[in-house]
Amino acid sequence: MSSETRDIVTDETNASRTAKEQTYRAIFLACGILSVLTTVAIIATLFSDALTFWSEVPIEDFLLGTNWSPQIEGSYGVLPLVSATLLITFGSAVVALPIGVLTAIYLSEYASDRTRSILKPTLEILAGVPTVVYGFFALVYVTPALGTIFPSISTFNALSASLVVGIMIIPMVSSISEDAMSAVPDSLRQASYGLGATKFEVSTTVVVPAAISGIFSSFILALSRAIGETMIVTIAAGSNARLIDPLDPFSAFLNSVEPMTAAMINIGKSDVDPGSLTYKSLFAIGLTLFAITFVMNVVSNLVAERYREEYE
Amino acid sequence: MAAETPSWAQQAGQVSRLRGRAFEAICLASTSLALVSVMVLLLFVANDAFRPFEAEPALTFAIPVLPGLELFVVPVVLPAYLLVFGATLGLPVALTALYYYRRDDPAGEVAYATLGLPIVSLLVSAGVLVMFIEVLTVSELFATELALLVAVGAIYGHARLRPRKAVERLAIIIVAPVVALAGLPPAMFNDIVNGIAGLAGVGPVLTTRLFSVRELVLASPFLPVRWVMLLATVTLPVVAIFAPILARRRESREAGLALGGLSMIVAALGLVAAPALGVGSDVWIVVASVTVPPLAVYVEGVVRRREGMAGLAFPLVLIGGALAGWLLVQQVGFGMPDPWLDWGFLTNAHSRFSAEKTGIYPPLVGSVMMLFAIVILIFPVGVGAAIYLEEYAPSQGLAGKFVTLIEINIGNLAGVPSVVYGLLGLALFIRFLSMPVGAIIVGALAVGLLILPIVIISAQEAIRAVPDSHREASYGMGATRWQTIRDVVLPQAFPGILTGTILALGRAIGETAPLLMIGMPAIVRRAPDGFFATGSAMPRQIFRWSKEFDPLYRHGVLAAGVVTLLVVLLIMNGTAIILRNKFQREETA
Repeated sequence: MSSETRDIVTDETNASRTAKEQTYRAIFLACGILSVLTTVAIIATLFSDALTFWSEVPIEDFLLGTNWSPQIEGSYGVLPLVSATLLITFGSAVVALPIGVLTAIYLSEYASDRTRSILKPTLEILAGVPTVVYGFFALVYVTPALGTIFPSISTFNALSASLVVGIMIIPMVSSISEDAMSAVPDSLRQASYGLGATKFEVSTTVVVPAAISGIFSSFILALSRAIGETMIVTIAAGSNARLIDPLDPFSAFLNSVEPMTAAMINIGKSDVDPGSLTYKSLFAIGLTLFAITFVMNVVSNLVAERYREEYE
Repeated sequence: MAAETPSWAQQAGQVSRLRGRAFEAICLASTSLALVSVMVLLLFVANDAFRPFEAEPALTFAIPVLPGLELFVVPVVLPAYLLVFGATLGLPVALTALYYYRRDDPAGEVAYATLGLPIVSLLVSAGVLVMFIEVLTVSELFATELALLVAVGAIYGHARLRPRKAVERLAIIIVAPVVALAGLPPAMFNDIVNGIAGLAGVGPVLTTRLFSVRELVLASPFLPVRWVMLLATVTLPVVAIFAPILARRRESREAGLALGGLSMIVAALGLVAAPALGVGSDVWIVVASVTVPPLAVYVEGVVRRREGMAGLAFPLVLIGGALAGWLLVQQVGFGMPDPWLDWGFLTNAHSRFSAEKTGIYPPLVGSVMMLFAIVILIFPVGVGAAIYLEEYAPSQGLAGKFVTLIEINIGNLAGVPSVVYGLLGLALFIRFLSMPVGAIIVGALAVGLLILPIVIISAQEAIRAVPDSHREASYGMGATRWQTIRDVVLPQAFPGILTGTILALGRAIGETAPLLMIGMPAIVRRAPDGFFATGSAMPRQIFRWSKEFDPLYRHGVLAAGVVTLLVVLLIMNGTAIILRNKFQREETA
């Protein structure tokens, strides 16, 4: 059949052929533009509702207010939510960054080819586990296990959410860092071996510094992922919006907190009236979240571009 | 040499060696930490979902870890049925696997594929069946396929009769499917126009229209009996895909025809055999038609290559072992465990009163329908965008800047939190376009936009991997750009695109936050009967169950739901990985 179509095609006149080519080109271009339209739609919807929200609640009250109680008191200070997000991001970073980098070092410097070919896809699968499942792990298994160590821990707490978010973002840190470390040319390693360095010294003083831009960009991306993480914190961290006291991290971690994403879900799944202020506050938090993650993604790209060591 | 080395240097060497060892151990420990902790959690879930150790009779014994200390005695409960299955199923399977691993590497892969292929086919046929039962009737599908056939026939006929009119053909390519499927103008268009006219106080404006082939077929009094329609709508298309593959490989039409005939016969056998086994004949026909042709093609390939044929025995060992174990347990009268995740769980709806009767069926159907909708809506757009960026996009000038903008934008879209996509769905589709709250289609659109950048990026990578020399050869033979893409680039990039898409769909099936934001209801008692109907999805239901404090829900139902979701996901990711490995091997070969 295909040989017949070829014959047909060569019979086509040039003009109609060009018209056809142009049409296909236009169709594919339209597909590409759709992705831009998605961004435009995100920004437009977030801004239009967030701006009407800020016309009713002054933006400084929103950004600097320390009380979040939209449905009962009608007070919309976002700081408690932001502080909870930062708390959980900090906790997950403590777990994920060192472990992620050490994993990357092991995969790139120590593991044999066969080990790596097994470990890398397995880590990928970890990254593919749905976050609602991670949230379930945190609530049903991790929190009771933590309860044997900290008897005062509450059912919903920031600690188990942080631990599990940390485990979730490890593959992200390790895979991007490992790519950066594998890109370090072997000649650098050979040179330092030639100078008498041990494998430990090569890994820590040659490979890691040479790959530092990739490692940092992986950190930023992973943290941005942790900030935007929704289901784990909604299920496991709870919905108690309170300002975190940085001087008392212990009680902050052991009690229920409400990060930005969890607050959005809690508003979104309760039937709020689409015209109400609470509904619009959803978009104000959404815009704040979008802005933070967007800036972090851009910074991560810049770091990777700007501080990359070029090797020929 | 050791004699010449001063003692201080030796000490330093030992210290640094110790430090190196310690560092390597720490690195290895970190690598294992994430894997082991998730693995342990998975074991906990599986234990909660299946309760394998809760069956009578059981052997109970205590293993002293430290002799003499009461505290370190681990009680072990080993139900008798487990021992039986261990002997009939576990041991033979382990031995066969060991044999493949040590002696016959290709056989291991064959074993993996012959086992995996039917599972994937079964899952697909389950999806098809669910769609049948809940959304379309068989006659509707029959009419739709017949209409599509007419449309394709019209396009093909035009290409034969008027080969030079490319623009005309483009018009036909667009118009023919519309006429065949929806009529001219489509019924919905008439309804809208008449509705507006009705609001304006005028009577119906559009009263006549050209009926579509689909409507005519549905209205005709001569619809064939159900099983004939099932054979025509399900078995024939599958055969039409796989029979030519076999015919091409063996270079004989007869082989293709034989495969087609065999599949039809096996499917039609269901009319006799299915009632005897206690299954519906519909189920048999769908399962047989989706499973037999691909499996036959694969087995034929293995037998023809004579490589790893021992692997074909693996499914037999597995099924035989399971069957033998089951019969033996039944004969002796050992108790079997009562898992949470059983047939009832998969076919029931959520029950407020009894955890034992609760099931996941409506959300399961919702998830399947969402996947269908996402594939139809997002896959063409994603691949189209990737084709534009890799094949058409200019790299210079103003247009080039615009293309760079698109690329950066796609990268950033991939980093937008999922809950923001939920807001987009809420504001754009529900409030602005007034789509129904919590409808399957809205969920599919929100989650689809979320995975669109992932689909585009992976499709771009697959297209980029096609060597330029192939394109240049095609241009050199006078092919146009579109012909090169259609006949050279896409066929080669297809496995890669497919892999990336399946992985992205795996992400889609687990996404929860967007579904919550677009207002998917917590409890759905009946499966959605269309794409615009309100529905739920598996992760949404899991989230709902996580709010229950009753331990029967928290440790039983919830675990069963999580395992269902993970199994679907595992099969999807496994398929993607098999495809990728096969693809990479062909690349290097």
